[in-house]
Amino acid sequence: MSNSTLIKQLATIGMVILTATTVAASTVQAAPATKTIRVMSVTDMDAASPQAAIWGKAPVTQVALQPAFPGHGSIVGTPITERMTAQAVRTGKQLYIRLAWSDRKANTAIDNTNKFADGAAVQFPVNGKSVTTPFMGDAINAVNVWHWRADGRTQNLLAKGFGTAMAVPSEGLQSASVRTDNGWAVVLTRPMKVSSDEGANLAGKGSIPIAFAAWDGENEERDGLKAVTLEWWQLRF
Amino acid sequence: MSKRQLAYVFDLNKCIGCHTCTMACKTLWTDRGGREYMYWNNVETHPGKGYPMNWQQKGGGFKNGTLQTDGKLPPMEAYGAAWKYNFADTLLDGKSDRVVPHEKPTYGPNWDEDEGTGEFPNSRYFYLPRICNHCSNPACLAACPNKAIYKREEDGLVVIDQERCRGYRYCVKACPYGKVYFNLQTQKSEKCIGCYPRVEKGEAPACVKQCTGRIRFWGYRDDKNGPIHKLVDQWKVALPLHAEYGTEPNVFYVPPMNVTPPPFEEDGRLSSAPRIPLADIEALFGPRTKEALEILGREMQKRREAKPSELTDLLIGFTNKDRYGI
Repeated sequence: MSNSTLIKQLATIGMVILTATTVAASTVQAAPATKTIRVMSVTDMDAASPQAAIWGKAPVTQVALQPAFPGHGSIVGTPITERMTAQAVRTGKQLYIRLAWSDRKANTAIDNTNKFADGAAVQFPVNGKSVTTPFMGDAINAVNVWHWRADGRTQNLLAKGFGTAMAVPSEGLQSASVRTDNGWAVVLTRPMKVSSDEGANLAGKGSIPIAFAAWDGENEERDGLKAVTLEWWQLRF
Repeated sequence: MSKRQLAYVFDLNKCIGCHTCTMACKTLWTDRGGREYMYWNNVETHPGKGYPMNWQQKGGGFKNGTLQTDGKLPPMEAYGAAWKYNFADTLLDGKSDRVVPHEKPTYGPNWDEDEGTGEFPNSRYFYLPRICNHCSNPACLAACPNKAIYKREEDGLVVIDQERCRGYRYCVKACPYGKVYFNLQTQKSEKCIGCYPRVEKGEAPACVKQCTGRIRFWGYRDDKNGPIHKLVDQWKVALPLHAEYGTEPNVFYVPPMNVTPPPFEEDGRLSSAPRIPLADIEALFGPRTKEALEILGREMQKRREAKPSELTDLLIGFTNKDRYGI
């Protein structure tokens, strides 16, 4: 192990301890029970690239992931990813979310009939309320998913329950990704304001529930075979 | 369950392995758009690895009514990519001295064609033409979490809604017949559509209509005057392929009758055993195979004695109307 790697690892451990201490302290102070991602507000800053300088400043939150509830008998297996980091930056009317997680092998193309691509997604309740189930929503309460895939496809999805995800065009939804030392860093960005038939409108909100997911293509992960947050987090502006 | 069900009978005693059915399907549906490698209709030599390779070991279907999740997802190598030949370079432009594929083929839909099994003069094989079985209990449909697959109410054809499909390929895994294909270009799954645009115009599917051996019978299962009801339900000589997977297939086969000579004994005499062992045919068509072959044999014997047989007339299928009512 090189010195620089060792230093990096020690730094990571330090950060984890620091985060743990902070969480413990806030629990004592009866701070919000919900898990929160703080959005950093900046003006006129480039955040579209996962390597943009702003991401060195925006707060980093560790997000633990669990296997998703298998919503269908076809979905069997255990997803690989156990955690990711989430960051959020807002520049005026645009929201940027940066996700990073470890993934041993880059699966960047569905170039064979038995291949699957790595992926990640964030999910919002369209009505902005946490009463919406984070498990793909339900017949009344839709969810909006921003789905990045390592083969370059990024889709804006609307779903009203398991097995109902449909792609809805959203020109404003963009993504950028980079392969890191041990996995992926991805930025998903979209204008804060959209019409409700296009997705979750984020404009004018103090906070909105958000959920996360990751797919490891090497493990044939797709659809409900994914690592997810089993409860809503709060994206606080 | 759909209101009506279109079904097929393929008489294996008449199949000459000419692949005209395959070509009819390919030129109509799968010669473009990412479907080039797909053969919704194929004719394979049995025994053989089949198409996709080793599909009979791919798993899927149902066991005691429960959808199985052990099905394999065949890689492209199990189908054989649609390789291209340098015809223009060689035959027109003189840039090459031989016609070769653009990549070294390692497998394809007719890779082991006519090989069969056994040593000459006791070698044997027969042709097994295959399409989607448009099952009454389709495993592909049951396996789709996105409800992208449905049976058409009016004719029971099983189709994939290309708008709803998200390319998860649970259907490809679940079909025990290997008859759902993933389109790498559209990133969605596709399969035989039973030529429904033709059906809706009152025309038989292309593979049925083009069959030069006239082995294909087609029509509604509940049509008492049609060939399907007569062959499957009345005469009971047509059997489903691998019914043990519980999908209730709607393609039925008249099993091969050993019309080829029996095998030779060591001393050159003809054996009393059939050339194709019954167990081999039963492995495909189940325990009713023997009974079906006996019925068939009895009716054929009638004709040899110059007596009439409705069944053999039916199987000859003199006119289009006889074979598919149109």
